Amino acid sequence: MTRFTPTRRLVLAAVVAALTLPAIATRPASAITTEEIKARGKIIVGIQGDNPPWGFVTSDGKQDGLDADMARLYAKELGVTVEFVPLEVSNRIPALTSGRVDVLFATMAMLPERAKAVQFSKPYVANAIVLIAPKSVEIKTNADMAKVSIGVAKGAAQDTQVTKNAPAGTTIRRYDGDAPSIQALVSGQVQAIGGNIFYLQRVEQARPGEFENKLEFQKLYNGACTRLGEKEVNASLNAFIDKIRANGELKKLYDKWMKVPVHQFPDSLEGIPFSAS
Amino acid sequence: MGLGEFLFLLTGLKWTVALSAIGFVCGSVGGLAIALLRTSGVRGLERLAAGYIALFQGTPLLMQLFVVYYGLALIGLHLSAWVAVSIGFTLHASAYLGEIWRGSIDAVPRGQTEAASALNLKYTSRMKDVVLPQAIRISLPATIGFLVQLIKGTSLASIVGFTELARAGNIVSNQIFEPLLVFGIVGILYFLMCWPLSLYGSHLENRLAVASR
Amino acid sequence: MNYVLDFTPVLDGLPDLLAGCLGTLLLALGGMAIAIVIGISGVVLRDSRHKPIRWAVKGFVELIRNTPFLVQIYFIYFALPLAGLRLDPTPTAILALGINGGAYAIEIIRGGAQSISRGQVEAGLALGLHKGLVFRLIVLKPALRAVFPSLTSQFILLTLTTSVASAISAYELTSVAQRIESESFRSFEVFGVITLLYLGISWLMMSFFSTISTRYFSYPVK
Repeated sequence: MTRFTPTRRLVLAAVVAALTLPAIATRPASAITTEEIKARGKIIVGIQGDNPPWGFVTSDGKQDGLDADMARLYAKELGVTVEFVPLEVSNRIPALTSGRVDVLFATMAMLPERAKAVQFSKPYVANAIVLIAPKSVEIKTNADMAKVSIGVAKGAAQDTQVTKNAPAGTTIRRYDGDAPSIQALVSGQVQAIGGNIFYLQRVEQARPGEFENKLEFQKLYNGACTRLGEKEVNASLNAFIDKIRANGELKKLYDKWMKVPVHQFPDSLEGIPFSAS
Repeated sequence: MGLGEFLFLLTGLKWTVALSAIGFVCGSVGGLAIALLRTSGVRGLERLAAGYIALFQGTPLLMQLFVVYYGLALIGLHLSAWVAVSIGFTLHASAYLGEIWRGSIDAVPRGQTEAASALNLKYTSRMKDVVLPQAIRISLPATIGFLVQLIKGTSLASIVGFTELARAGNIVSNQIFEPLLVFGIVGILYFLMCWPLSLYGSHLENRLAVASR
Repeated sequence: MNYVLDFTPVLDGLPDLLAGCLGTLLLALGGMAIAIVIGISGVVLRDSRHKPIRWAVKGFVELIRNTPFLVQIYFIYFALPLAGLRLDPTPTAILALGINGGAYAIEIIRGGAQSISRGQVEAGLALGLHKGLVFRLIVLKPALRAVFPSLTSQFILLTLTTSVASAISAYELTSVAQRIESESFRSFEVFGVITLLYLGISWLMMSFFSTISTRYFSYPVK
């Protein structure tokens, strides 16, 4: 067994060591352009690994889903290959801002507070944040949410929505991702969950007939994300999204994954610029 | 659970093994350096090594992984998740192995070093030929104990989004909704990796205890 | 793009973070209490006259020591409800920490108990001391004294392990940190500061144990 005996002096030394780290860390994370991505021959895409049908890893280990197809199409447009980096809900934005990935196709709901941290593209798909609860519990208004304990994925749009709308004192449990939050509902650790339009479908597989969508908090659009100030990649993504909306490629993706007609997308959203300034 | 899901768990297992191996091998190199610094007799270097050990043994592995994962990218190093996580485990392992080996170097009787000095052996030769071979023997049980701890620790890489065994388990469990079965199997797979090592470690410990009786 | 470090979200969240520290201490102390109970009863049971009990203790120790804590806590939290046992995140975390720490405590305390020579026990019995008293005074106390440093480092490790409990949404420092991170997107700053807080917590634990050690386990000064 290792013997760890920190004296006050050792702890101080460790604190000094830890404090010197940020000093090194203030160097800039470099901006990237499509030219650099082409020269490199691959684009590094941050994506979700456990949130079907948006982004998920299949049981043979392949990255699949609507976001994966979007990323592959965009890579084809650039003439490069894709490297997927599966991310947890809560580390999507940090992975982008710290330069770990070039772009996010990661079920990124376009929200004003996020727009302060990342650059959204034009929307490419619509989503909604809902509360899923047992049929037997009556939940008609936000105030009724206090009746149940609610699970959410940490840092996801449903976390923001449930936290904002639930009355004070409601039990909200935050898990490390979509999968554990659904798991918590299925094991009965929480009675309700906040999720997106496809959650119910997944819950049905495990506990058929017990749950239903109760409240809809917010209609959302998902966009691709780049770092703030990287005009060039953002412009290229917007041109790409315009193109697939026009040429029917987006409809094919909708038919494959969403199974509904392509949504009407707004030309602007309050507080969320689509183009880098 | 179908064959496809089980094979997916095995893919996760492969990454667990790879991550443990990299962490252990690179951590051994780092650990040796830390142990030598810690016993160098030079006050500044000893302090530095001690501070490093205290920092890594006094903070959670999960935090170390987070800080390394985001910190490396901030200083402009664009590394894949796999490399970043490997670096995190290497730094972690260096601290623990450094402390274990410092203990074993100290456990080699001082007379040995003095005798080697009297024979006019230089530092390198004194360490390489006299002290370290004995220290390694003494340290083996603890080293293997740490290897087991490291293998188990790689499960935390799942929380930064790296798909190794624990995360593969989470994903599969969420596809087929049989957590009891899936986490049971994941647990067994870890057990099959760690248990033989643990047994070997205690076997060595007993032998060492007999030898020094 | 320049990434400029900004610690304001962390400073604003400091009261929450300190509350999170208390959560971490609660998990750690609760886990240790259970671990000590499991450790001592495990040592007694491991020398039971009944073979199945001895094997059960041995199996428990090996099983727990050779599987990751994350998998154990997932198992208790997500799988046991299907078997009818449902616990909230914080009790789950305390229980999981206690079980995990307990398995190590059994091995550590046993090592200490084995170092007590048989003659001492016989001498105690010969003096007419009750069996329980012999165990408490002649075996347990010196054994704990001998293994106190190992037990301490194991419990420091247990304290650090509490951060894993954030995975099942238990209330402790890491989960508070992740909340602040997900609102501010300042991962490096948040986790950097949290790392220092953990360093402080482990130092606090260390001082706590050395106080116990000098108060209860030092030999009487002549």
